[in-house]
Amino acid sequence: MGTEILRRSRALFDRMLLADNAYAFLFKPDDSDEVVSLDCETSGFNILADDVISIAAIKIRGNRILTSETFRALVRPGAAMDVSAIKVHQLREADVKMGRTIREVLPEFLHFIGGRPLIGYWVSFDVRMLNKYLYSMLNIHLPNRQIDVSQLYYDRKYSKAPPGTEIDLRYAAIADDLNLSMLPQHDAFNDALTAAQMYVILKDLQRRGARIPRQRATPRSGDFSV
Amino acid sequence: MPQAFDVQNPPFDRLSHDEISTLRAAIDIGYFPPGDTIIATGQRSESLHVVIKGRVEERDGDTIESGLGPKDTFDARSLVHGPAATSFVAAEETLCYLLPKAVVLDLIAKNPGFAAFFYSEISRKLRSYDRRDREGVDSALRAHVRDVRYHAAIFVDGATSLHDAGQLMQDRNNNTLFVRDGERVGIVTGANLAKAFVLDRKPLEAPVREVSHFEVASIGADDFVFAAVIAMTRHNKRRLAVRSDGEYVGVLEDIDILGLVAGNPQLIPGQIEQARAPAELKSCALDIQSQVERLHRQGARVEVIAEITSDLNRRLFAKLFDMIAPPSIRQHGCLLVMGSEGRGEQTVRTDQDNGLLLAHPVPEADLQAFRDAFTNALESFGFPPCPGDVMVRNPRWSQPIDDFLKQVEGWVRASDQEGPMNLGIFFDAVSVTGHHELLDRAKTTMVEMMRGETAHLARFARAIDLFAGASASVLTSIMASVGVGSDEIDVKKAGTFPIVHGVRTLAIDQGIREVSTARRIEVLAEAGLFGADLGRELTSALGYFMEIRLRSQLAAMATGRRDRESIVKVGELTTRDRDLLRDALRVVKRFREIVRNRYHLSVF
Repeated sequence: MGTEILRRSRALFDRMLLADNAYAFLFKPDDSDEVVSLDCETSGFNILADDVISIAAIKIRGNRILTSETFRALVRPGAAMDVSAIKVHQLREADVKMGRTIREVLPEFLHFIGGRPLIGYWVSFDVRMLNKYLYSMLNIHLPNRQIDVSQLYYDRKYSKAPPGTEIDLRYAAIADDLNLSMLPQHDAFNDALTAAQMYVILKDLQRRGARIPRQRATPRSGDFSV
Repeated sequence: MPQAFDVQNPPFDRLSHDEISTLRAAIDIGYFPPGDTIIATGQRSESLHVVIKGRVEERDGDTIESGLGPKDTFDARSLVHGPAATSFVAAEETLCYLLPKAVVLDLIAKNPGFAAFFYSEISRKLRSYDRRDREGVDSALRAHVRDVRYHAAIFVDGATSLHDAGQLMQDRNNNTLFVRDGERVGIVTGANLAKAFVLDRKPLEAPVREVSHFEVASIGADDFVFAAVIAMTRHNKRRLAVRSDGEYVGVLEDIDILGLVAGNPQLIPGQIEQARAPAELKSCALDIQSQVERLHRQGARVEVIAEITSDLNRRLFAKLFDMIAPPSIRQHGCLLVMGSEGRGEQTVRTDQDNGLLLAHPVPEADLQAFRDAFTNALESFGFPPCPGDVMVRNPRWSQPIDDFLKQVEGWVRASDQEGPMNLGIFFDAVSVTGHHELLDRAKTTMVEMMRGETAHLARFARAIDLFAGASASVLTSIMASVGVGSDEIDVKKAGTFPIVHGVRTLAIDQGIREVSTARRIEVLAEAGLFGADLGRELTSALGYFMEIRLRSQLAAMATGRRDRESIVKVGELTTRDRDLLRDALRVVKRFREIVRNRYHLSVF
């Protein structure tokens, strides 16, 4: 609750500081009844030093994932790419060279998402990454509400769990519990699509008050505690 | 535009690259919580659904018509032909690709192959699919020479006269002889003899060594068939001697290899004619059976395979009858084949349904000896005994016609289940050899007993519901009622039997004397008992059931599990076959309703 108040007050503040009034729509109350699943691939995990190299976003209306209305962009990074990150998403510098600059991509992206809530797995990282550019362009942060699928998953599975329960919020664990076959990971579009599927299923479980059963913690061979 | 959308999955495998791009760009993904109605009865669907994960049930009121899983597509009908006749409900958390109606209709208009999937009639669908997954010639060429039916070696001495050699070829139906001449062994063929007389004007008494050739091209019995083909090509010969353990054991001709690849049923009648003792018929029986697999691999339609097989089997039975029946039985008897064998709808042998009608009583000793000899001979040929004991061995099925007709009357009147089954089997009888008029008379009497007798017909018709549970819940968990697992279906019980028996009932009702189900259906449709459309659908559905049953029979033979011969595992079928199976079972359901209504079976 505290974070929500914080978000709203920062949004109010940002609205005043907004550099370009053409983007005032970002701050209008959202009446589309849609959310947007978002995923960015980055050149590394350091928000200050690394760059976004691809963005994918998919709209979700109710129980329908609108894969026919998607946003996808490759971004040409300013900084050199980190070798460890290339190994993760397999986009080499040569691949992203085809991309456009973030200054070109961002306006389209903002028009695509509008005021819709953003969902994703660890979505705050993606948002902070994008905020870095947004702040320098428009003097604001993304005001959109954020919904993290790992939070929804936690609520369905681990809320009211007895103390000492081992909590596993890994992406693979969620996909496994929801019986989702994993698309090849670390492609922005696939990750956004998987997150979207997680979202519609978890929202439905929430509506029906259904919970995900927890396995009794039986240590498997090979497991060890640290 | 989900790249994960599987374009190899029928019917999408028929789309061109550009069409796939168009489709992909338009696809959404829908999520349906358990219990959610995806398409309601009477509603027109706005999308074509392809299941990604989860399970969807197709329901008609309270009955579950079918279960759909990943990669299954629904509902082509309500998209193209009008409001849905059934509803589609998510049985668990389900994700589906949603293909917008406008895009799908556009693709149907542009791409005839894709459009075929959306035909409403199974008969049109079947025609448009080239369903054969050919195994190709490869597997045949990798067989061993020993597995080919080559001719056994016949040896003659080099001093044998040309005339005697020719006579031996004629008697043994073998065009090639091995000639021993001192230390050497050569070969002489019919063509060599002909050339000796016609071109070289040799006398008939000349020794055969003069026309034999002693450079013998040979192949080992353990070699591969493709090695034999290569050797024939290299030596420019149409036949090779077959060697085993340093001896010549036979002759392999090019036609034998062709038979291995393509099947050559035309050769079998000759073999049957040539046979001189029951034991020699055994190899013919084995050949008939191996033709089934070859013809199937070759791509022959299952109806054709069944026709060829039953024709050959009947020749075999007739020959066996001639060999072992004593004069008393040959004079007064009529040998019958019945059931699927009689209808000409059996491919892989499942049982032997045969019987004998006699014009007059014959000496008991003759009859008893014949009963045992005939049935035992067939059993030794690999015809499994009939579980219901419908065999010549059973005195009930081999007796003078007057006694037999009393028996029939008992079946007509009896209230147990056995009566209708026996009548059904007998109504499908055809005479193989002997006094055909005996069978005619017996059938006429049987039909007269039943025609117009509503109660008798209804009791007979009731058997159509014997395995009713099987089709009401196809592909779902209630399959336990027919003793098979949840994703298994017994095509014989759920598909073939209701069609065959329903058609049989109507045929008795109308006094129709055709025997094959397909012909009966034609005549019934002409008589107006049902529309020509349903007639066509029934024949197609029956053909389809026979086809997938044949496949599972061949698989069962390969794995040696004959008890599983009519079980099809739904999960192992391709999407296209599952779709066809669903359609075929729908036809069965419609037909069953017609029969039930006609004989008021719901009151039982």
